[in-house]
Amino acid sequence: MAELLQYLTSGLAVGMVYALVALGFVLIWKSSSVANLALGQLVLLSSWFTYGMLVQAKFPAWLGFPLVVLFALALGWIIERFILRPLIAQPILSLITVTLGVAYFIEGVVSFIWPWSVAALPRLFPTEPIRFAGAVVSQEYLWVTFISLVVFGLLTIFFKYHKMGIAMRATADDQLAVQACGIPVTVIFSRSWMFACVVAAVGGVLISSIGGITYGLVETGLKAFSVVILGGLDSFLGAIIAGPIIGLAESLGGGYLTPLTWAGVKDIIPFIIIIIVMLIKPYGLFGETRIERI
Amino acid sequence: MGLPSGTRNYTYAQDMAILRTRTHWALFIGFLVLLFGAPLYLSGYWLGVANLIGITLIAATGLNLLVGYCGQLSIGHAGFIAVGAYTTAIFTNRLELPFLVGLIGAGVVAGIVGLIFGIPSVRVKGFYLAITTIAAQFIIIWVINHWSSVTGGFVGIKVPYASIGPLVFRSESSQFYLIFTIAVICTFFAKNLARTRVGRAFIAVRDNDLAAEVMGINLFYYKLLAFFIGCFMAGIAGALLAHWVGFMNAEHFSLTESILYIGMIIIGGLGTTLGPILGVVVIRLLQQVLTIQLVPFLEESLPLPSGFATGVTPMLFGLAIILFLILEPRGLAHRWMLFKSAYRLWPFSY
Repeated sequence: MAELLQYLTSGLAVGMVYALVALGFVLIWKSSSVANLALGQLVLLSSWFTYGMLVQAKFPAWLGFPLVVLFALALGWIIERFILRPLIAQPILSLITVTLGVAYFIEGVVSFIWPWSVAALPRLFPTEPIRFAGAVVSQEYLWVTFISLVVFGLLTIFFKYHKMGIAMRATADDQLAVQACGIPVTVIFSRSWMFACVVAAVGGVLISSIGGITYGLVETGLKAFSVVILGGLDSFLGAIIAGPIIGLAESLGGGYLTPLTWAGVKDIIPFIIIIIVMLIKPYGLFGETRIERI
Repeated sequence: MGLPSGTRNYTYAQDMAILRTRTHWALFIGFLVLLFGAPLYLSGYWLGVANLIGITLIAATGLNLLVGYCGQLSIGHAGFIAVGAYTTAIFTNRLELPFLVGLIGAGVVAGIVGLIFGIPSVRVKGFYLAITTIAAQFIIIWVINHWSSVTGGFVGIKVPYASIGPLVFRSESSQFYLIFTIAVICTFFAKNLARTRVGRAFIAVRDNDLAAEVMGINLFYYKLLAFFIGCFMAGIAGALLAHWVGFMNAEHFSLTESILYIGMIIIGGLGTTLGPILGVVVIRLLQQVLTIQLVPFLEESLPLPSGFATGVTPMLFGLAIILFLILEPRGLAHRWMLFKSAYRLWPFSY
């Protein structure tokens, strides 16, 4: 029982982080139909940047975190302006593979600036465990879940009520109509990339404050794809619901399946889920089924 | 446009000929002589590089059939190469079967694994397929790493030298002949496949799969066929790699390697026979020159940060992929075509 509760809390927390990162993907996909395969690398880069600010440059948190957000905004803007903008209206194959190029480039940058492969961020949350119903639950996980929920809440309010958010949703719905209304679509693309990078950075900082910064963060980004696939590519709600599902499947499966199979089964569960979803319900739980016409 | 001035085709056979004029034949035979004479004038080190290029070329040709002709994006190619490598390792080391069985078996098993992960391609495409193949890559590598009783796990597995009957391919130069014979056959096969009904069906599926289906092309069959052929070649390449290196572990087959394969065919030119050749040669040579020669030299002469050696190669290749996609999406092969037509028409502009 105590074991189960631990799996549940850690799974939930990790799942919320996946959901956050996945949200970054959905943002870009909805507004510009670009599949961003560099998600994991964005998470990696922003975590290392946080490390650079907080540990190497020794900035206090109140200065370091805003700088990380600024950095993420700038990163998103640069990627959109100089890489994706020239490729507008190109075939989908180019749009996907160019993000692979970005991923490769970012990996190079990371190992260029931070050649040591492992580092620890300073603890952001109190580590004292909480005893609850006979189980020991790490407080960090609860904090991560809480902060992810807050970010979700803020984003939801933004999309619902802010002028920019409404414009972004409109762009997702119909680009032509939006352009006819006088909303500059390229600005929307740019903003969605900036938001996506910030969300990825928040996810990266949250997860690396617990597990440290390793190359495994790239896999975190890749696992976020299973959230996207399960929830549906164009659904925020899908990401929020599928995130915890994947996180729970991963931690419960890792906990209870490892004795039955091989070690490390935890890391492979999201990918198996991807394959299963692809075979049964390729557009995910909440994704819009696209009916194509010639 | 593809023909020298004054050469005209009068029959269908002439029109379809790959080598049309005497100059073509002379150049082609000269090229083959130059290629297969390479062990005579290349040193052991560069022969090793050439072998790596040959192996990579086989895999890239397969990937080009899948991505460049059929339009099914696969980012798990290194995974399928790993399947081939491990199949031949298990066949020749554990079961002590002859090399040829291992080679063909590697192709077939990799092809079948490709088929399994290619099944979703019938319903989905683009990003969905990219993700499926990434998942395939991770699942394959995980199985290889953990099924240690068969694959040797993290420790790895020894692979004997390739041998056909009494002939053992032990030296670098004998392996060169083995690898490049297969590479030439594969390139020839790919070139011809692209001109048959199957190749045309692939191109139709790539350009618009719905329209292709309406025209009577069986999508299920052709998409899976593309996956099978592409992964078959990956398997062959993996088998050759295994026998060439002599020792396999999963580190040869990372996701980065898969991305690099995609990069190669993009830089070379998607959907051309020449593309993979140019892309593979350029990328592999750059890799060698950068990591073995240039980087140590630069590190000695300039005060560089310690991450320079590991970071500069992915940065440059990532940048190359991005720049090629933005500035020359048709790759080096297209540039070569432009150059060819320019010198044919010189000194007139058209």
